[in-house]
Amino acid sequence: MPPPPSAAVQSGPRAGTLFAWVAMVFGLIFAGFVAWLEVDQAALLATTAKLQTQALPYAIEQQRLARNLEVLRLEGERVISGNTPQARQQALFIVSLMASHPSLLEHREARALAAETESFLAAVARHGGADATALAEWKRLSQRLSLAADDITIDGVSLASSEAQRMGEIVQQARHKLRAVLVLVLLFLGGLLLLIRKLLIRPLQRIDASLAELKDEAAPLHLPGSTLHEMQAVETAIGQLRTVMHEHAQTRRALEQLAATDALTGLHNRRHFMQLAEIEFNRARRHGRPVSVALADLDHFKQINDRYGHAGGDTALRAFAELARETLRHADIASRYGGEEFAFVFPETTPQEAQLLAERLRHRLSEQRVALADGRRLHFTLSIGIADGAGLSLEEALSRADDTLYRAKAAGRNRVLLASAPAGCVLPFRHDD
Amino acid sequence: MSGLRLARLALTAFLFVCGLAQAGETVYRVAIIGNSPPMSYVDEQGRLTGFNVAMARALCETMHARCELRTTPLDRVVDTVAAGEVDFAVVSLLATPERRAKVLFSKPYYRSLSIWLGRSSSTPGKAGSRVAVVRGSAQARHAEAQEWTLLPVASHAELPPLLAAGKVDAVVVPMSTAVGLMAERSLQPLDLRPTILSDPLLTGDVCISIDPRQPGLKERIDAAIDTVKRDGRYDRINTQFLPFRLQ
Repeated sequence: MPPPPSAAVQSGPRAGTLFAWVAMVFGLIFAGFVAWLEVDQAALLATTAKLQTQALPYAIEQQRLARNLEVLRLEGERVISGNTPQARQQALFIVSLMASHPSLLEHREARALAAETESFLAAVARHGGADATALAEWKRLSQRLSLAADDITIDGVSLASSEAQRMGEIVQQARHKLRAVLVLVLLFLGGLLLLIRKLLIRPLQRIDASLAELKDEAAPLHLPGSTLHEMQAVETAIGQLRTVMHEHAQTRRALEQLAATDALTGLHNRRHFMQLAEIEFNRARRHGRPVSVALADLDHFKQINDRYGHAGGDTALRAFAELARETLRHADIASRYGGEEFAFVFPETTPQEAQLLAERLRHRLSEQRVALADGRRLHFTLSIGIADGAGLSLEEALSRADDTLYRAKAAGRNRVLLASAPAGCVLPFRHDD
Repeated sequence: MSGLRLARLALTAFLFVCGLAQAGETVYRVAIIGNSPPMSYVDEQGRLTGFNVAMARALCETMHARCELRTTPLDRVVDTVAAGEVDFAVVSLLATPERRAKVLFSKPYYRSLSIWLGRSSSTPGKAGSRVAVVRGSAQARHAEAQEWTLLPVASHAELPPLLAAGKVDAVVVPMSTAVGLMAERSLQPLDLRPTILSDPLLTGDVCISIDPRQPGLKERIDAAIDTVKRDGRYDRINTQFLPFRLQ
């Protein structure tokens, strides 16, 4: 078991802590904004209350005051145009009441105008009526009373109007603030998404990719080098997993090599050769392609062993294996079949082409002198039997090759024979001897 | 069967709710004075009416309460309210310190003046002038303090005959009463002359007097005054009974 990932390697912040901080910072900023908005709400409520409790009652009171100025003017008309002294007296009394009314006395302009009106009308009443000058004067006074009533009415509404305007400004300001909050929220969400992408999604994608690459031992391991503690833990684990897998694969390859290879010559051993040859035969049969097999045997190998010892024999076997590797094509399958016997499969090759190849091998061996450890040089030959594999099973083809090899031995060794066609003709082929 | 039971249940619930509503209804005893046009008086059809009567009804309606109006002589109003025999009085009382010591006053619902109304031969303070006042009024207290020759009466309605018969030379009354007296047909030949009295105790805020043991009621009445003044009922009542804005 690999050791658990050490804390020193994973120095990044934990995801929970990081996101808690992010949420806290945003929460604080957002709360600040809400408090900022709250200020407007409070101002709006205060202004509404002011409108209800001050501005509107003030407007109504100013209207009442204006109404009383209008009463003053109407009663003044009665004083000017009254038919009887009693009627004029009654009207003058109302005028006096209006001029002395506390609410009217509180308003500077109205008070002055009412006092002026009262004294004018009292003088008219004393004189028992109005002459032309007094009528003209009354017309002007009456006009001024109406205008003052208008002004007072408008003044009453102006406070309410300014409060309404203030409310509008507050709402407008609140709208701007709301937009700012919206932008902030969007920015935060965007930032959060980027953060999630950078800290979680991208590392996960890279981890996924590196997990996929684990199968391919040759590919270098790309670990993202994440910021977050948890991601770093996963990456460390992947690294350890990859090391273990790599070791296992190496071991497996070594075992496979051992199981498939002849230790002395490095060629395929018989068992592995049979597997590979079977695959080639199946392929040839499926596609109707040519395939050939050959069996070879070193001539007089027992004498080599006797004369040069087993070490000499082994050298001969290794030298032949080396020559076969050099001479044959890459796709050809060569194996040590047993003792001094070798087997070959030539894919995509007619017997005639195989015979050319085998002959080249035989010829090169016959010209070769193999240096032994004691400085002596060894010369030896081999015999080869070739059979056409087309339409045959591997065993049948090998059996024919074996027969042909025996015939080659019987015919004097150091030669390549092609298995006879079904007619049974033998085509000896001697390039040189 | 179950339908019948359901109906019975519904009926029980309905009666219960009605009972609750009945129990929850507030009833106020409200003092007003009679025979004081145009503020409170009995009209030709025999109905109690006037500015203060209409205001009392509007306030009760606003407070979602049922009001029992009780006619009380002016000189008994403050003591009746102070003793808790009524919950409040919609009577035009000037808010004098003397009264404020006995009862709770609402916020002002209008402002008033006091008028000397007399024959042209008599002016305020002139020796020998006989003056009629209504008992319990601020004007009566003022006239006593001035040591005028007084003829106190129980209600404003008694004043015109006294003036017409020459039993008094003048009356001292609130402005609303003076407006009525000036228009009184029987007094036209007398050629009455009004004089506005400038004493601070005779001018200013007119308030509703409230049982001093019910401070919560004062808050409700103040709020109701604001509502009635704001929603237009105050001005409609004003127009109905007086030729100018009371404020």
